[in-house]
Amino acid sequence: MSKSEKVLKRQNNKIFGLLKPDSLFGYFMILPALVVLSFFFAYPLIYEIYISFTDKTLSNDGDFIGFKNYIRLLDNPEFVTAIFNSAVYVSFVQIGKFTLGLGIAILLNQKLRARGLWRGLVLVPYAIPGFVAFLIWRLIYHTEVGALNVFLQKIGLIDAPISFLGERDWAMASVIFSTIWRGFPFWAIMFLAALQAVPKELYEAAAVDGANAWHRFRNISLPGIRPVILIVFMLSTISTINSFEAIWLQTAGGPSDATVILPIFAYRSLTSFNIGEASAAALSLVPISIVFSVLILRKLRKD
Amino acid sequence: MITTKNKFYVFYKYLTLFVLGIFILFPLYWMLNLSFRSQSSLYTRFTLLPLDLNLQNYRLAIENDFFLTSLRNTVIICFSSTLIAILFSLMAAYSLTILKYKGRDTLGKIIIVAFLTPGAILFIPMAVIVANINLSNTLKGLVLVYLSFLVPLGTYLLIGFFKSIPVELEEAARIDGASRLQALILILLPLIAPGLVSVGILTFTGAYNELLYALVINTDPAVRTLPVTIVWLTNSEESPWGLMMACSAIAALPIMILYFAGQRFVVEGLQTGSVKG
Repeated sequence: MSKSEKVLKRQNNKIFGLLKPDSLFGYFMILPALVVLSFFFAYPLIYEIYISFTDKTLSNDGDFIGFKNYIRLLDNPEFVTAIFNSAVYVSFVQIGKFTLGLGIAILLNQKLRARGLWRGLVLVPYAIPGFVAFLIWRLIYHTEVGALNVFLQKIGLIDAPISFLGERDWAMASVIFSTIWRGFPFWAIMFLAALQAVPKELYEAAAVDGANAWHRFRNISLPGIRPVILIVFMLSTISTINSFEAIWLQTAGGPSDATVILPIFAYRSLTSFNIGEASAAALSLVPISIVFSVLILRKLRKD
Repeated sequence: MITTKNKFYVFYKYLTLFVLGIFILFPLYWMLNLSFRSQSSLYTRFTLLPLDLNLQNYRLAIENDFFLTSLRNTVIICFSSTLIAILFSLMAAYSLTILKYKGRDTLGKIIIVAFLTPGAILFIPMAVIVANINLSNTLKGLVLVYLSFLVPLGTYLLIGFFKSIPVELEEAARIDGASRLQALILILLPLIAPGLVSVGILTFTGAYNELLYALVINTDPAVRTLPVTIVWLTNSEESPWGLMMACSAIAALPIMILYFAGQRFVVEGLQTGSVKG
């Protein structure tokens, strides 16, 4: 073997070491997914960051204007309201879903007749398409055809109908309630599965030792389901922060801006055709998404 | 003493479940109630209970061209995006769990980050990009956009399913002389089949329920999807609540059937996604 052949062989080894049959096949199999994500995930994200530094409108490609869009956002009282509303909305929705989800999971984990049936029942709000669910709630809250007003008037609690989605005092609470209705099943089902995975012997041993129900819950159930609580909380929070349809279909952000959350604000900016500013608004959701993504990635790696 | 205490306990347990049942089912009841009312009786009769059983709204719904067109669009979009998403996700999840190569973990992380990035962040550039490649107001464009979240979702779920099956079987088949592809099709595919059903249901409903992209990208009535058309109905002057609820009921039915027929797979998919991921 001549010297040049040796060099060639070593080079080939280098290349084929990286491209073992396994590697080639591996890259080949993941290629379609990567092509999709390059064009419709990475590219839009980078492009959006670029647009957010321009004064692009629908008809005009716009010039580079630095951080002006971001500065304008911070000066915009509606944007500040949107951040505040998002925080209120997400906090209460998540507290509600957690409480309801955990309570129902504990209930369904008891000795029950037809447990499968009850579990199926709990799945109903999750199974119904979101856009249908929120349109129904809009009509439950409605002043004229709404069930809630009919009911409250029938039992004599109120004289005149309340505009649950049209009054500042009620709108936020109303959309929070309906979002909880739509979202708690995911939590309940996950918690129930986790509770059922806790070994029964632990409870029996604790009962022998004289632990009461609260102690058994505190010291056996809760530690058992903690990992699930964490991951469900993180996944659900990301989707709740971004729940455009829940608000859009019920109040569209109103009355005035009482229920405007960040995705609604971004959508409103887009419909005013100021694409640069709208992009900056949508990107304001990125930091919190990054925080939760990192937490989830770390959690998944640990498992 | 203990038995009476138990009886109370059992009584309250089932009472709570009963109240829970009403809380869960009432909105569905209200949808049906309004959908069975004529437009004139909507405002005149303040009743909670009786249904008129007036089928007028359902007839209007299935005779409404906008509704039918968007139903057709939704069916086309959902089936094509689900089938493509299942194929791409299966390939990607297989590659990320079974095969070993350089950069694999980074690629896996990118897909999970994409899964965790919501449409609310990306809808603006997405609309501009789809317009730039001349695919606004086409079903094709929306299918491509939907793949951007369905493929990461499917891959994320299937990674969990692949991790939960015994990989040794695949290795054994390979030692017996099967190629990678043969081992995938003959050994792994049957094992992963329940996972594919879960992913199928969850991606299909994901595409079916999507509102934001559809709202921004497909504005032409000819290519609107179901959610957009039903929302658009509410903007008309006479507020046809009954018709809207009839359309909603028709729209919800197939998805609810899918969920309950595949309840086992849905629950398994959710669990795999959030626990084993």
